[in-house]
Amino acid sequence: MNSNQLTFVHDNETVVIDFARSAFQPSTTVLNYLRSLPNHSGTKEGCAEGDCGACTVVLADLNQYNQLVYRAVDSCLLFLASIHGKQLITVENLAEKSQATTDLHPVQQAIIDHHASQCGFCTPGVAMSLFGLYKSENTVDSNTAKHSLSGNLCRCTGYLPITEAAVQCCQHRQEDHFSKEEPRVIAMLQSIRKEKKTRIFSTEQQLYALPFSLDEALELRKKYPDARLVNGATDTAIKQNKTYTYLPQIIDISAVDELRFVSRNADGWLVGSGLCIEDFSLFMGAHFPGLGPMLRVFASKQIRHVASIGGNVCTASPIGDLIPIFIALGARFKISTVMTERWMTATDFITGYRSNALTAKELLTEIFIPDPQPGTLFFTEKVSERRELDIATLSLTASIKLSSEGYVTDIMLVYGGMAARVKRALNTERFLLGNRWNADAVAQASACIDQDFSPISDARASAAYRLQVARNLLFKCLTQTTSNTINLSDEA
Amino acid sequence: MKPDNNIPHESARAHCTGKAQYVADYLCGPGDLVGRVFYSPHPHARILNYDLSEALSIAGVADILEHSRIPGANQLNPLAGDEPCLAVDTVQCIGQAMFLIAAQSPEAAYAAARAIKVEYERFEPILTIDEAMAKGNRLAPARQISSGKPEEAMLTATHRIKGNLFTGGQEHWYLETQSAVCVPGEQDSMTIYASSQNPTETQLVVAGVLGWEAHQVVCQVKRMGGGFGGKETQANHVAAWAALLANATAKPVKLVLFRDDDQRLTGKRHPFQSTYEIGFDNQGMIQAYIADMNGDAGMATDLSMAILERALFHADNAYFIPNIRLTATMWKTNKPSNTAFRGFGGPQGMAVIENAIDAVARFLGKDAAEIRYRNFYGGGQRQFTPYGQAVHNNRLYPLWDKLQAMSNYTTRRTEINAFNSANAFIKRGMALCPVKFGISFTTAFLNQAGALVHLYKDGSVMVNHGGTEMGQGLHTKIRQIAAAALGLPTHKVRLSDTDTSRVPNTSPTAASSGTDLNGMAVKNAIDTLKARLTPLALSMLEVKEDAGVEPSLVFQDGHVFVAGLPDRYVTFSELVKQAHRAQLSLSATGFYCTPGLGFDKEEGRGNPFHYYAFGMAVAEVETDMLTGRSRLLRVDIVHDAGDSINPAIDKGQVIGGFVQGLGWCTSETLRYSSEGQLLNCSPDTYKIPGIGDIPDDFRVQLLSGAPNESVIHNSKAVGEPPFMLAFAAWLAIKDAISAVGRHRHEPAFGLPANCELVVREADKLRELTNKPAIS
Ligand SMILES: Cc1cc2nc3c(=O)[nH]c(=O)nc-3n(C[C@H](O)[C@H](O)[C@H](O)COP(=O)(O)OP(=O)(O)OC[C@H]3O[C@@H](n4cnc5c(N)ncnc54)[C@H](O)[C@@H]3O)c2cc1C
Ligand code: FES
Ligand code: FES
Repeated sequence: MNSNQLTFVHDNETVVIDFARSAFQPSTTVLNYLRSLPNHSGTKEGCAEGDCGACTVVLADLNQYNQLVYRAVDSCLLFLASIHGKQLITVENLAEKSQATTDLHPVQQAIIDHHASQCGFCTPGVAMSLFGLYKSENTVDSNTAKHSLSGNLCRCTGYLPITEAAVQCCQHRQEDHFSKEEPRVIAMLQSIRKEKKTRIFSTEQQLYALPFSLDEALELRKKYPDARLVNGATDTAIKQNKTYTYLPQIIDISAVDELRFVSRNADGWLVGSGLCIEDFSLFMGAHFPGLGPMLRVFASKQIRHVASIGGNVCTASPIGDLIPIFIALGARFKISTVMTERWMTATDFITGYRSNALTAKELLTEIFIPDPQPGTLFFTEKVSERRELDIATLSLTASIKLSSEGYVTDIMLVYGGMAARVKRALNTERFLLGNRWNADAVAQASACIDQDFSPISDARASAAYRLQVARNLLFKCLTQTTSNTINLSDEA
Repeated sequence: MKPDNNIPHESARAHCTGKAQYVADYLCGPGDLVGRVFYSPHPHARILNYDLSEALSIAGVADILEHSRIPGANQLNPLAGDEPCLAVDTVQCIGQAMFLIAAQSPEAAYAAARAIKVEYERFEPILTIDEAMAKGNRLAPARQISSGKPEEAMLTATHRIKGNLFTGGQEHWYLETQSAVCVPGEQDSMTIYASSQNPTETQLVVAGVLGWEAHQVVCQVKRMGGGFGGKETQANHVAAWAALLANATAKPVKLVLFRDDDQRLTGKRHPFQSTYEIGFDNQGMIQAYIADMNGDAGMATDLSMAILERALFHADNAYFIPNIRLTATMWKTNKPSNTAFRGFGGPQGMAVIENAIDAVARFLGKDAAEIRYRNFYGGGQRQFTPYGQAVHNNRLYPLWDKLQAMSNYTTRRTEINAFNSANAFIKRGMALCPVKFGISFTTAFLNQAGALVHLYKDGSVMVNHGGTEMGQGLHTKIRQIAAAALGLPTHKVRLSDTDTSRVPNTSPTAASSGTDLNGMAVKNAIDTLKARLTPLALSMLEVKEDAGVEPSLVFQDGHVFVAGLPDRYVTFSELVKQAHRAQLSLSATGFYCTPGLGFDKEEGRGNPFHYYAFGMAVAEVETDMLTGRSRLLRVDIVHDAGDSINPAIDKGQVIGGFVQGLGWCTSETLRYSSEGQLLNCSPDTYKIPGIGDIPDDFRVQLLSGAPNESVIHNSKAVGEPPFMLAFAAWLAIKDAISAVGRHRHEPAFGLPANCELVVREADKLRELTNKPAIS
């Protein structure tokens, strides 16, 4: 197999794109690729930034047991080269076509039966999200349906018919033509994946490396220190879409399976930096339920399926959701090059507004989450204008340890959205340390917030709102940690 | 024959298989070009110099147009004449088009836009209504409607309350951004594939900028991916830009606005700044109401004056007010010209009185729903609106009865009070809100529609009409109407794209009137055809016409027969086949205009509306006073859609309208920098409701047994009215905030009631009631 050839399955066939002879760049988005094909304009562009879901497609990928796992993703943020070795399923593929007839997929029939399309522009994306849900193992009620569809905006229907369609079709799941085709598709994907050497896709404008092992990834990092590293590429693709410019060099580590793991050692959990947010949030929900709520509202299913925890952390955004969690948990990051490895705390890793401590040849590979001390209380709340698919206006993640008499012996108040980077409220912490954990103390402590932060006004909210809510969140933290104590070490 | 109920949207199958085509889906051929607009980055400036040479030299750039290259009139609004197609000397808003780029790829077009160099002399812009008012920057003289003796009655009123209300703008956020494809044809002609609610105007505006006559331009609209008013005038702009480029390059040009550009450069719902004074007695009966409403028109007229008029017509909402003075003014600011948006000024007018009624209820210590009920329009003198039209077929009372029972209002009020006593920071609130909405274009002559119906030799039917499909289900209903009129199954009837060469001189599909007007026009065409077929049918049925009375024919189930004699029939297809052999014309036009409308603008009196639509909602919210976040626990709606032609589609409009209104009332805040830049010009920061924002428990019913005579199949327009049902949620949030102060104070309120407002006002109330921050 020529290393410049991208191979995936679409329309039930193996598709080969040879970048030496193609109009596409390796980082052309799957959306733009699809829309340039004849008869594939069903996938729509509504925003080109992952916020509307009109472009939703489903990727079927082999898991470690060689089973197909179907996941809805936003094709507007998906680099073409990243679908190597996967099956791309688009709205045109849903119905089963024979010579004479077209049998709609149950999700499509449900959309029609429930009048869940009006203008129809969001509908292909909705259908694909529904299909992803249909092919998942989850039991579906109206809450889970809504959660799965939070990445699909619809301006016409008011969503109620969409919810009803989702519940109705997923509660009557049956074998569909995709199930029947699976053995064939699996064989096709396996044959593509036999070749395990790094793919180097190149055009006149772009070099795009797709390694399959960590060693290769680190080698590439050394060889191309100027290349942009991507995993889910959700942050990276937006810039490309908005400026119509292609990065000259990209190293895509999304195919490195070694970076997607969760394991335990004596003192805590080790998590690979390549784990996607969806899988990470399942892990957190199971082992750190006190920190789960923040992750539940992270972006949308489509984004969570591809965005990686490493990408989130390395972006070092002041409103990123994972950094506060890792700081509050006292997590440590493993940073590797071909020859070296070093560990540093989450706090030290963030060096400023969207900047981190990595040098050009380094890769964030693992995250160690130490087991919390018994009795540690956790709290997290993300405040955003819209409940789901919204970035935090501000957030508070707290870990608190109380003495048996109810005095604060240890406290970390990690705020997002209050400064140029995720930042602890050190003055407030200092005030509370040694105090009782009660309403009086919190009321007094909340005055310290003004010394800790001078936030800005921006497209999301005013500085005054941020300050007021930062104070208010202390009360929320108090009420939730006192009435609803979660002992994490017991859970783990 | 009654239409076949509840059939799915005629494009539903195409929607969910991805086969439904939108403008952006027209596949370009090899030589085709993409268009791009270069627009002003400053809200108000003089253009000193510009240089296109570098941009023109970029590979793949075909042409760049400046205003001097416009062959016809440099004007997008021929009526008001205040909206240049491309800026000449000055720019009046951020987003005003200055140059048009045609290129072989979006990449090249983008690069060209970056390479255009312009020098500006910047002026102080006017960015808010307050600034415009301070500077006297009126768009047009104020308009007024009054009745009774408002000033006197106010002076003698038992109680008086003054207040003010700001209602914010709203971005349409149709999923499909503005787009047009223009294909130049032979002999100076042009076909436009548009996403426009107003194909005739698109055609005329394009003809205007090209310096052509209307017959040289054809505008076709297959469907829109949402319109909501945003494509009533502003779709013309995109079409005009694409047409100029297509004409200059002699190539097809596709111009699809990128989402961020669409949000930046198109107009929004008009923000309004209003003040009011309300006088009332001890029972809460309104004695006098004086309101002064001020709208932000943006830089040009667009539809602002009609919108202002509708705000006046709806300032009373559902309430009889004996003494009233309403004054309304549109102000010019350096923002993109604001435009039509579902409700068309109605919501802005209604919000003021609804807010005022809450203040009355709070003052009297009564439940606001009770005050609303007391003031509903009624019989006798109480049926007359401030402009003198009688509110016939008033459905407010049946809606109230049904909704009270359905929502269990009283019991839940008690439960909510109990909840609020037990919770310091989480409060629940509930509100009921009625809607009365006038149906018709208030510009009376627009209330007309045309149709063209073809019967083909095989008995199948093609219906053309002037309305456009934007998701509201117009084509589906028209198909039902046509099929019912001809006694055919719906699959025998197909709807064509809307096309100015088939049905000319159409009114925009707006004012919720699409089905009312076009449905009648189609029926009129079909009546003509049926009349033409009747003598032939009678002879085929061997009925003698000698009895003096004309036997009446029935078209049913594909058969044609004499009433009462269904067993002796001819099939419709046989009839049509024979008609063709008998050399009868099988094509007919239809026309309809709404009778009895008239409004005297000077006097402020008349009947601007054919009828009123009604609805009512109860919403319950739970609001976190610490973060400002609200969650809709339950919403009950009863809406009056007459004898619905398609209840599923009508319920879809009610649910969708409510949720869109909910966005305006809560999460959709337009934020600007001090320089007038729209800060949230993408969905990353501009938040329309998502699926997680709809009520946990959402119950929607149509009012049954309420036929709307004089309208096609006794149905009722349903597009806009439900939007305002969302006020129930808005007011419920206020009710929850006021619970912080144990309902003793009326919170300062505004729209949207976003998190920021809730936190601020809850905090103020907490201080007012002198409660410690935590109890
Ligand atoms: C619609 C939308 C909604 C969003 N909502 C949220 C939200 O609710 N909360 C939130 O926190 N974020 C949100 N985000 C941002 C999101 O977190 C990031 O896009 C995502 O987590 C980044 O992961 P990725 O793998 O896609 O990153 P990529 O785009 O692949 O990479 C991001 C950056 O990290 C670097 N990087 C990635 N992996 C590594 C590594 N292993 N070692 C070193 N450097 C690395 C890359 O070089 C790049 O600079 C949202 C984004 C979108 C588009
Ligand atoms: S186009 Fe909106 S999410 Fe992709
Ligand atoms: S049906 Fe129009 S956006 Fe969903």
